[in-house]
Amino acid sequence: MSAPPDAAPTQAARVKPEPPPAFQVSGRHAKRLPNWGLKLTMALTGTIGALFLAIHLFGNLKVYSGAEKFNAYAYWLRHVGEPLLPANSVVWVLRIVLALCIVAHVSGATILWLRARKARGRFAAKRSHRVRSWSATLMPLTGVFILAFVLFHLADLTLGIKPLAPETFQEHTATAAFAYQNLIASFSRPAAAISYVGAMVLIAIHVSHGLYTVVSDLGAVGKRLRAVLIAIAGLTAVFILLGNASIPVAVLLGVLS
Amino acid sequence: MTNSTLPNTATAMTTPPPPSAAPGVMVGSQLNARIPDGDPETAWLRRRQEYRVVNPANRKKFTVAVVGTGLAGAGAAAALAELGFEVHAFCYQDSPRRAHSIAAQGGINAARARKVDNDSLYRFVVDTVKGGDFRGREAEAYRLGQESVRVIDHMNAIGAPFAREYGGALATRSFGGVQVSRTYYTRGQTGQQLQLSAYQQLMRQVQAGTVKLHPRTEMLDLIMEDGAARGVIVRDLVTGEIHAQVADAVILATGGYGTVYYLSTLAVGCNASAAWRAHRLGAYLGNPSMVQFHPTCLPVMTPWQSKTILMSESLRNDGRMWVPLKPGDERAPGDIPEAERDYYLERKYPAYGNLSPRDISSRAGKEQIDSGHGVGPMHNATYLDLADAIKRLGANTIWERYSNLLEMYRIAVGEDPMQVPIRIAPNTHYTMGGLWVDYNLMSSIPGLFVGGEANSSYHGANRLGANSLLSASVDGWFVLPYAVMDYLAGRLGQARPALDSTAVLSAFERAQARTEALLQVRGTRTPAEFHKQLGNYLWEGCGLNRSDKSLKTAIGQIRALRSEFWQDVLVTGKGLGVNQTLEKAGRVADFLELAELLCVDALDRDESCGAHFRIEHQAAGEAVRDDDHWMFASAWATTAPLDFATNPTLRFTRHAEPLHYTNIQPARRNYQ
Amino acid sequence: MKLTLQIWRQRDTKDPGHYETFEVDQLDVGMSLLEMLDRLNEQLVHEGKEAIAFDSDCRESICGTCGVNVNGRPHGPRPHVTSCMQRLRSFRDGETVRIEPLRSGAFPVRKDLVVDRSGLDRIIAAGGTVALPAGTAPDSDAVGVGHDQVERALDFAACIGCGACVSACPNGAAVLFTGAKVAHLSMLPIPAIEKVPRAEHMVAAMEDEFGPCSQYGECALVCPQNVPLTAIAFLQKERLKSLLHPRV
Repeated sequence: MSAPPDAAPTQAARVKPEPPPAFQVSGRHAKRLPNWGLKLTMALTGTIGALFLAIHLFGNLKVYSGAEKFNAYAYWLRHVGEPLLPANSVVWVLRIVLALCIVAHVSGATILWLRARKARGRFAAKRSHRVRSWSATLMPLTGVFILAFVLFHLADLTLGIKPLAPETFQEHTATAAFAYQNLIASFSRPAAAISYVGAMVLIAIHVSHGLYTVVSDLGAVGKRLRAVLIAIAGLTAVFILLGNASIPVAVLLGVLS
Repeated sequence: MTNSTLPNTATAMTTPPPPSAAPGVMVGSQLNARIPDGDPETAWLRRRQEYRVVNPANRKKFTVAVVGTGLAGAGAAAALAELGFEVHAFCYQDSPRRAHSIAAQGGINAARARKVDNDSLYRFVVDTVKGGDFRGREAEAYRLGQESVRVIDHMNAIGAPFAREYGGALATRSFGGVQVSRTYYTRGQTGQQLQLSAYQQLMRQVQAGTVKLHPRTEMLDLIMEDGAARGVIVRDLVTGEIHAQVADAVILATGGYGTVYYLSTLAVGCNASAAWRAHRLGAYLGNPSMVQFHPTCLPVMTPWQSKTILMSESLRNDGRMWVPLKPGDERAPGDIPEAERDYYLERKYPAYGNLSPRDISSRAGKEQIDSGHGVGPMHNATYLDLADAIKRLGANTIWERYSNLLEMYRIAVGEDPMQVPIRIAPNTHYTMGGLWVDYNLMSSIPGLFVGGEANSSYHGANRLGANSLLSASVDGWFVLPYAVMDYLAGRLGQARPALDSTAVLSAFERAQARTEALLQVRGTRTPAEFHKQLGNYLWEGCGLNRSDKSLKTAIGQIRALRSEFWQDVLVTGKGLGVNQTLEKAGRVADFLELAELLCVDALDRDESCGAHFRIEHQAAGEAVRDDDHWMFASAWATTAPLDFATNPTLRFTRHAEPLHYTNIQPARRNYQ
Repeated sequence: MKLTLQIWRQRDTKDPGHYETFEVDQLDVGMSLLEMLDRLNEQLVHEGKEAIAFDSDCRESICGTCGVNVNGRPHGPRPHVTSCMQRLRSFRDGETVRIEPLRSGAFPVRKDLVVDRSGLDRIIAAGGTVALPAGTAPDSDAVGVGHDQVERALDFAACIGCGACVSACPNGAAVLFTGAKVAHLSMLPIPAIEKVPRAEHMVAAMEDEFGPCSQYGECALVCPQNVPLTAIAFLQKERLKSLLHPRV
């Protein structure tokens, strides 16, 4: 039997007691690119990308005005600013800016993805089955597919690398563009048309969640401001999807030829 | 030693403290609470002028250990660190933010008296002293009111989002039967906001390195040198290692001991071990039997219930309390016709009805339950019915007023309070008693200060609603910094005990031996079983109603249970590493001693006052005080015989601190 | 009511840990999740075994001490309700329930279901504070604050610091928690004075231990206090503002 050891403490190991350990505050922070800065970079480059997609969409929709106007537009893109600027200068500026954006966006995404894995630890969180959560989950995947699609798209309709490009691909000349003919030729291949439509779905998912994230990454906190910006984000994605996807569908259905 | 020089004393005890009715209790001396002589209204100002200060350059030479990080502890630790003292703050929780001050709902009183409802400092003091049924200190009530103004301003500045009027001024509400509106609040979570604000200020000092924080660390014993408190022995609840922290002064801000009743509105981790260990080393325990029971708690719904959740009293503004007239009526509430219901509060107290004060409502509810009229599956509740108010004001209005409470009820009970009456029952809520402290918040052990609910100041025999957040904040931010600095000023140049000194080693070995002893019993009953049993004994013997017989029975039961505990407790696991069974066992071991003193104090105090209701002393259900004999605060000392290890009996001595009222005349309460 | 429990057991931080299965019977649907663990622990101690360690304190959903993952969901099946307030009526009779600690890389397990969430305290210490010594505050009525403004501040200040948001986050981020504090303090006139250094220091401390936000929105789905997702935008806003703010 044992009892409260008030009067007679047992002679437990007579060691000199130590002071208790104390709570450690956050020390010198790691010297590395901060997450918030990477997020900001992704938000800005992503927004530029989305803007490019929106402008690209307006150009694409000229296809419904007929071959002549569409080819004229393609020609104009290469010669805008002449004679002050040499030919192709605007196109190249755009290409360089976009390429840099893609590099920054993809590197930011990769660093953040790796950091998120690490922060998450050994056990993955169970996700709820909501659209928001799914699209967030799919961001890296949709991103990788979109990157692959962009390369395919360049090979198909810009560089004309066969067999990705159609057999009848025609390089533009100093005086003429054949964008319309190339487009019809490419989309007349059902596999290509379907992959374009599929890519648009992925782009829409990526852009909608991306732009939604931008609203917060740029610090929009007002209720109305957020509502407007989030609506714009969603609408942008929908327009990109419907507008662009309509073209291969129209080609397959014979509306465009 | 009494304050007989007080010139304006209008009312005081007419005879010396009476002998004790409790067997074996020795009557001790009369205590001097070191309250400044003269007008209580200016006492605090004069006392602060007398206090010594420590030169800023010398402050870092002093170490203060603060146990507990609630409103009082976090406040004192942060304020002392701001002044430049080295502070060690301890809490058993994983973060100092979680201390149970966080659970207070209603609000915090302040005598700012801005409105033209004729509130004033005087009125605040009258309400506090009357609320305490003339068993608290008048001068302290003044201090509470005076410092309340700074408390509100400070809390507002450090981030408490107090409710505001549309015009931008602080909003107030009336609370707890007070006729003016002086309660400041942040929705139903005032305690949370004040606690988090205090926690943040504590963390600011932690970041600055002036406070060394020790979370998940429980105090096991007090280091004593030459009769004074010089540090604490603590157990790291993660590694299980026992450590020593020496200090020039120790502040206990460890909260109340309501969990001694097992079921209470307190957190399940709340305990009295730090206070009780200090008590066993000589710190007197003041008025331990003064325990407040809250009338509107969720009832016990399963035998495994671990606590009772408080439902704000505000529900009584629109709810009617009733029970079926027929005992043991099993019908659903909706099936019981109006004529077969007993609206017992309206019947017994027609003037105040459902808004009768806490103690009266609690006792009336328990009376109904005990006489077989209890409702619910365990027949342990009464109804609080919103149906009439819903009919009168519409469901929307009622939902808007109480949505958070009703939602909580819905989650906890699984019934819709808009459709069926709420079931409520009284339960243990707040302990007015605690370690006895003088006016400077120093206990009878020099160097040991006590703040917040852990001490026995301010509230006398009953605490006024919304005064608990206030007293804890005032102690922490605006009393302890002055008083502790005064004490430290007298210690300049004196060394703290070394880690290998006898003072430290004896306390360290005591704590180690006690931990070992708990692990070695290896009996058959878990600490929780002992705790539950103890709670039952106390609730029956020393609950809302106390009698000579019930208390004597309880004392016998508690003594027997304590002996059984040390022969039969079962603690699995080891002393090293996380061992929550061991933590629980240590706390229950101390409760088993405290509980006896709680009953002895209740048996000793042969009168009714405030929350202490002796059925022998009542007039039509009202407490009847005996100011001629009992106008003093009891301050208990406990001694154990030398052979305590084999004969765990305790001896108690009651010292008395006479109470004097200068500006406020004692009167009897009447709510009929 | 009967349940099969798969409970995470881990001796200490270094132990890899495993699930242990228990059958519990004769449960009352009104019991809380934690009371069920209490009961199981009583049984284990009687059998001479070590009790399952888990954290809890107030058991009325305000202190933020409790928190276990139940079938992968922080706190339990009922959304916006702390573990201590989860009732067994949310489960089906005979169901198998998996109980594990609040998972996250920043929350090392100390034992069984007990985790170390001190990283959250480090974020607050870094800047979730007000540099105003006791006694120096101005009259609270001297600076008026709008009724709606404080109510909005309280929506964020209501955070109980339980860490469920971190555990729910597939990235292990503490942005809802940090953002709630930054938002709360930026809406009140005196605390707002320091908002520039606050955001900078709190974000730096947060990024030391926690992951980046990808706006899954999982955090707000489990938050017992319904802290709005806007907290995330608040954090970024204050951080960007401190970028633009001139330094002396």
